[in-house]
Amino acid sequence: MLAVEKRSESGALELLKRIWRDYSVLLVFGAIIVICGIAAPRFINPDNLLNILRNTSTVGAIALGMTFVIIAGGIDLSSGPVLATAGAVLILLQRMVNPDGTPVVPLAVAILACLAVATAFGFVNGIIISKAKLPPFIVTLAVGIIARSLVMYFMRGATVMGNNIPQFTGIGNGSVFNVPIPFIVVIVIAIVFHIILTRTKFGTYVFAVGGNENAALYSGIKVDRIRIATYMLVGLCTGVAATIEMSRMAAVAAATSGSQYEFEAITAVIVGGTSLTGGKGRLIGSIVGFIILGIVNNMMIMLNISPYLSGAVKGAVILFAVLMQRRER
Amino acid sequence: MLRMKGICKSFFGVEVLHNVDFSVDKGEIMGLCGENGAGKSTLMKILSGVHTLDAGEVVFKDNIIRRNATPLEMQHVGISMIHQELNLLNELSVAQNIFLCREPRGATGLINFNRMHEEAAGILEKLGEKIDPKRKVRDLKIAQKQMVEIAKAISFNVELLVMDEPTSALTGRETKILFDLISNLSAQGIAVVFISHRLKEIIDVGHKVTVLRDGYFVATKNVSDVTAHELATLMVGREVTESKASDYAGDPEAVALEVRNVSDVLLKGVDFKVRRGEILGFSGLIGAGRTELMEVVFGIRKPQSGSVLVEGKPVTIRSAIDAIKADLGFVTEDRKETGLVLCRDIVDNANYVSWQKSPGFFKGKKSSEEKTKRIIERLAIRCSSPAQNVSNLSGGNQQKVALSKWLLSGAKVLVLDEPTRGVDVGARQEIYQIIKELAAEGVAIVIVSSDLPEILSICERVIVMHEGRITGTLNASELSEAKVMYYATDV
Repeated sequence: MLAVEKRSESGALELLKRIWRDYSVLLVFGAIIVICGIAAPRFINPDNLLNILRNTSTVGAIALGMTFVIIAGGIDLSSGPVLATAGAVLILLQRMVNPDGTPVVPLAVAILACLAVATAFGFVNGIIISKAKLPPFIVTLAVGIIARSLVMYFMRGATVMGNNIPQFTGIGNGSVFNVPIPFIVVIVIAIVFHIILTRTKFGTYVFAVGGNENAALYSGIKVDRIRIATYMLVGLCTGVAATIEMSRMAAVAAATSGSQYEFEAITAVIVGGTSLTGGKGRLIGSIVGFIILGIVNNMMIMLNISPYLSGAVKGAVILFAVLMQRRER
Repeated sequence: MLRMKGICKSFFGVEVLHNVDFSVDKGEIMGLCGENGAGKSTLMKILSGVHTLDAGEVVFKDNIIRRNATPLEMQHVGISMIHQELNLLNELSVAQNIFLCREPRGATGLINFNRMHEEAAGILEKLGEKIDPKRKVRDLKIAQKQMVEIAKAISFNVELLVMDEPTSALTGRETKILFDLISNLSAQGIAVVFISHRLKEIIDVGHKVTVLRDGYFVATKNVSDVTAHELATLMVGREVTESKASDYAGDPEAVALEVRNVSDVLLKGVDFKVRRGEILGFSGLIGAGRTELMEVVFGIRKPQSGSVLVEGKPVTIRSAIDAIKADLGFVTEDRKETGLVLCRDIVDNANYVSWQKSPGFFKGKKSSEEKTKRIIERLAIRCSSPAQNVSNLSGGNQQKVALSKWLLSGAKVLVLDEPTRGVDVGARQEIYQIIKELAAEGVAIVIVSSDLPEILSICERVIVMHEGRITGTLNASELSEAKVMYYATDV
């Protein structure tokens, strides 16, 4: 009798443990929203919440691609500079107008060029990492430094204004049924990526490459191709982020566009529970991760805390998140 | 000298040792055997201070050992354990490893390397081993690394040395050197506890043997009073039947895989054939080039010359995927390193290869899960569900998962490299049964094994290699350990 009781109790405990393991990110997320709402009632205001979603979409898009890279055991430190470079291409193409005021290059073509440039950077990262067998940390750091330098050189370190037309600025600043367009874009990408990660062979191989590269190789998986593809995905996402960012500002700043975005994106992925050692991770976690970062930024303003302290808070968030994940293991 | 009485230990509420008694006398060589999960390693880890016991007491040289003594304290008391996975720092020198944290220091407080190297050389000399103490451990062979571990243990003035499966990665010759050393230590009055799955070894080298089963003490016997067969029966708790393979009885012309003239830095013009439904063994010492040969066949290693024919047709194999498309399969010797993605579940691991072979972008979640469930049933993989992470499975079950990816992909030629390394007796028999069933279905089987009794019991034909060359081929009917060793050492 006692034994039976004991078992049912441990069964309930098991269930709680499993819920915590699978949904801890979401539970923490819920708690954060409640706490923020109590600390600053204005936080709950729908306009404010939608604003947070709009503001986090650029980093969010990068974080989605970054999730693939990190699951495959890599990292991309070039995203910020690549965003600036791809953004510069977009603005420079988009600001060229004929004497009659019509654009020389159709907007769609300019955006495609922006996406292509960013994806090409991902390809370069991936090919160097997999063919030269160099650590991704070093390669993407170097490529990022090069990209930033080139964009500074070609734009002489200046900020360049784009053609401020509603067709362009509407992408980043518009809404559909009150939902910010950038966030809709990010969610659509997230859904597609989620399906790729969980339902396709490619997604499974990404996990395999990050979990055990040798075993993947012996199973016939084309490890190099998978790895290059993940860097191209984060590149493509950076291109999307560049498009959103440029259309919101209608300008690109050689020195500061996309600055620190790679770290914000990596932070979002880690906070979302993806393991930096590769092989483990979930896209939903990264989404929650970048929204949490957005909330942190927003609360700093709400509570009138010096923006200089935002780094301190974010650093603490990373440590806390990783600590929680360690304890689960 | 050592008396462990009424030892109990639980992990997460599951009792893994029940009231176990264990004692060793001075200079005695004690074999310790039992299936995986019998509690051998746990008992020895309690002894060496890695785990803390829940109940019972440990008495060493008439002193009761403190309940939660640390491994370092136990080493100073005179008890050292060499773990199954060697615990050496690859980037440090032999001497640095031996004296880790106890480096001899000069007057300035800096390490006195000259003295350290001299002392290390002295200890190694005592073991009859000529390793330069300045060499990095990374550059040593496994057997030499083990010597370094033993040297480290001895440097603590060890009186009781515990070795957890010391021979699992050694060749026959290296094993013999190790056994000579163990006898030597015993003659010096050092007691040795020796955990092994290879019962014959325990009988060859030990004085006494203790058997554990499911965490219970079963018996301690003098080795002169038992046979390997009786020991196996005690371990399993039921009769174990030893079988011997007979010659290949199928069509001798039905060649499934033919390998011609493979050469590279190690291999020297190797040819071999395996027929449909045949179980072909590759024997030889470590370094003979057996694994390397299989890696060439599977496209992992690039040869200077050589060709591969599958079912009589030449195939070009440049990478694993080419081999997979030619219906070859390769269960590698180190499942953790090259066989499995440990952090993923059984479904993924079982399907990696069949996904490669099937067209399409999506993996087909439902059908993959169905296939996995069927293979779990067929191979009797013990798991909580197909979604269980492979890292949580026992060695034998992990090996079955590593095997399952080739079964699901329909390999017609299956190479198994050390198929039962780190697998307990029960699961080992199951794996042999699976291999025989596959052969009966017409799959050509190639087994690379350093375990001679294994080769003898299942292979219908054996190819023996020595230093990159084939030195002999034997049919089951003419097979004996002596003949294999004769070819393997190429005397």
